[in-house]
Amino acid sequence: MSIFRNLNEGLHDICFIWWREMKLMVRDEGVIIFFFVVPIIYPLLYSWIYNNETVHEVPVAVVDDSHSSLSRQFIRMCDASADVKVAYYAQDLNEAKSLVSRQLVKGVYHIPSDFDTNINRLQQATVSVYCDMALMLTYKAVYQTAQLVTMQMGTEIKTKLAGRFTKQEELIASKPLAFDEVPIFNPSGGYGSFILPGVLMLILQQTLVLGIGLAAGTAREQNRYGQLVPMSKHYHGVSRIVAGKALAYFMVYAVMGAWLLLAVPRLFHFPQLAAWPSLLAVVFPYILACIFFGMTVSCLVRYRENVMLLMVFVSVPLLFLTGLSWPQSNIPAVWQGISWLFPSTFGVRAFVRLNSMGASLADVLLEYRILWIQAGAYFLLAYAVYRYQIGQAQKRIKQEYQDMKERIEERKKHAKV
Amino acid sequence: MKYLLRIFHLMMRELAILRRNHLYAFCMVVFPILVLVFFTTLMKEGLPTEMPVGVVDLDNTSMTRSLTHRLDAFQMSRVVAHYPSVTEARRAIQRNEIYAFMYLPKGTTDKLLSNRQPKISFYYSYTTMAAGALLMKDLKTISTLGSAAVGQATMQAKGMTDAQIQTLLQPIRVDLHQIANPWTSYNVYLTTMIVPGIIMLFIFLISAYSLGTEIKFGTGKQLMEIAGNNILVAIVGKYLVQTLIFLAIVYAYEYYVFMVLGFPHLGSPWMLVLLGLIQVLSSQGFGIFAFGLTPSLRMSLSICSLWAVLSISMVGSAFPVMGMDGALQTLSWLFPLRHYFMIYQICIFNGFPLIDAWFHFAALVAFLLLPWFVMKKIKNAMLTYVYIP
Repeated sequence: MSIFRNLNEGLHDICFIWWREMKLMVRDEGVIIFFFVVPIIYPLLYSWIYNNETVHEVPVAVVDDSHSSLSRQFIRMCDASADVKVAYYAQDLNEAKSLVSRQLVKGVYHIPSDFDTNINRLQQATVSVYCDMALMLTYKAVYQTAQLVTMQMGTEIKTKLAGRFTKQEELIASKPLAFDEVPIFNPSGGYGSFILPGVLMLILQQTLVLGIGLAAGTAREQNRYGQLVPMSKHYHGVSRIVAGKALAYFMVYAVMGAWLLLAVPRLFHFPQLAAWPSLLAVVFPYILACIFFGMTVSCLVRYRENVMLLMVFVSVPLLFLTGLSWPQSNIPAVWQGISWLFPSTFGVRAFVRLNSMGASLADVLLEYRILWIQAGAYFLLAYAVYRYQIGQAQKRIKQEYQDMKERIEERKKHAKV
Repeated sequence: MKYLLRIFHLMMRELAILRRNHLYAFCMVVFPILVLVFFTTLMKEGLPTEMPVGVVDLDNTSMTRSLTHRLDAFQMSRVVAHYPSVTEARRAIQRNEIYAFMYLPKGTTDKLLSNRQPKISFYYSYTTMAAGALLMKDLKTISTLGSAAVGQATMQAKGMTDAQIQTLLQPIRVDLHQIANPWTSYNVYLTTMIVPGIIMLFIFLISAYSLGTEIKFGTGKQLMEIAGNNILVAIVGKYLVQTLIFLAIVYAYEYYVFMVLGFPHLGSPWMLVLLGLIQVLSSQGFGIFAFGLTPSLRMSLSICSLWAVLSISMVGSAFPVMGMDGALQTLSWLFPLRHYFMIYQICIFNGFPLIDAWFHFAALVAFLLLPWFVMKKIKNAMLTYVYIP
């Protein structure tokens, strides 16, 4: 009987706290920004930024000292390629340099005066490529185009020089071992398809932590004693408080998660290979882990704004710790260890492999298990810090009560005298 | 003289505030240093080396094994496993064990020796961009070398000289000059954008925070009193101490990165000093402006953090601005970090004169002057606003 009553009462309390938390959430403009506005707007902005995926037509300058049909062929072929556009013809390297300095071109092709003489004399000819290394993608475009064009021209020259009998023989002689390069998963090499899945998953964690932190800060500031947990008959029992609040956050983030991980990639045509059961299996513990992580962090901040100063800058290092930009195999051990503290590390890794690489749940088993462990560990931590907070609150109230009593006694004494 | 004295009093007051609230110490000194250490140690290698790759060798002859050995000997790749089939290797990529693999089909050697042009393949994943692109380069080199080895043998047999063979194998050579970053170091290329970006984030936040807390803790009136009711004096006195601390941090970063770690800087050292100065001042300008727009602590902090995080993308260092949509290219002007990066790129990294980056310098000066528009509003806020939680 009493078990049922307890359960019933507990459920009622959880629902009460859930309802109250939801009410607080929609009233607090700071929380609205991080729970609703940022998760909706930011992915759209990021997708827009990276939607063009690759850079085409990088402007280069050409210094042609050879003025031969071969050098003109080289320039024509470069210009015709997708990645490079011959924007300027410069008289000499100095002029080309001034074009680079004014950011008009990103690289310089210099064809020396002995270019065609060398080729016709059966000597190796060179083309000098000067790259502005400030941007990796433009460097890649400028260099790889030059490489591709020289290789193509080289093959033509080779077949002419060799003097074979048949076309097929020419082909084989110029390239005895053929090769195929197959970029799998993200075949266009698009920048958005590569970075966006990780960013989306990270936005989920960061906005959750920021929102929870702000909500906790508000609760604390509105409380008379600066406590996180109000004194109310519904707020006894730590598990009820933690569960009630988590439910409220989970409700919002079930929706936001679907928007971020399903709708946005579809809207902008980013790869989406994940099967929904495995996606659900990974995202569920991820959101739980993020919520309890956020609740733990929220107990550490005294003023509501402080959470912003603490959490915002972490976003960038966290993105790097996932191993997306800098390969995971090359992250130093210290940082690998620290990365284990954050749900995003494993959430992003699992999501990218499920979603962009079409892996199955079995392939991300390690990440999946760690996410559950993190969810459990952060739940216990959140429980512990909330219990501490409640203990503090009760102590405070008792103290207050005691003081009041003493004051009344004192007054009574004075009155008697 | 009267003004100087007031400013001095305000500076003393600000020093006391900075010492009392530990958050300032963390956000102004500890976190920026932590971020600097993080990025410089994370990418210490410059280029990722020894990345795991796999091999699917169905031919298994001495020729294919020597190709595998050569691949292993490359600096960037390390052959960690052999797989019985392409499917297995693909699953290994999905399990995050390797980043790429080379596929040598059955009969490769036979065909090569009998001049029937065998075809080998290499598969690489672009979901981790740097790893994919770098390994692709290694794998490509391997195949070209394999090709060359065969051709070389036949040509030598025909009695050609080495120079002739060289010409026949590669009639046109690309002579690459990687100006200022010949190591293609990712450390040089990412750290110099992200660390200043995060320092600017902190300057934004702290600038807005320190004005906002005056209202929150109800000390705005006191501030104006000491300043003799002159908002300009109040702002200068309040921010001068912070400016000096941030300048110290920025110069410490520049010293460590350019002098100790030896990152390329072709411009004069004075350019570094000037860039650091305008970086700090323009960011403070932006932070104060953001607060003045919405004289509320939480809104201004939200604006500052959202803007700063967005600027890491809008700076166009990883994905160039010229690859973005036209509207975004114009929008990128609104981000101080973008102008900072352009000045860095033009005047420090490539060492061109400041005149080539005049537009970006002027833009940063404009950011510094932005608070001018909201001075009145800030004064009003300091005197009359009451904090509502």
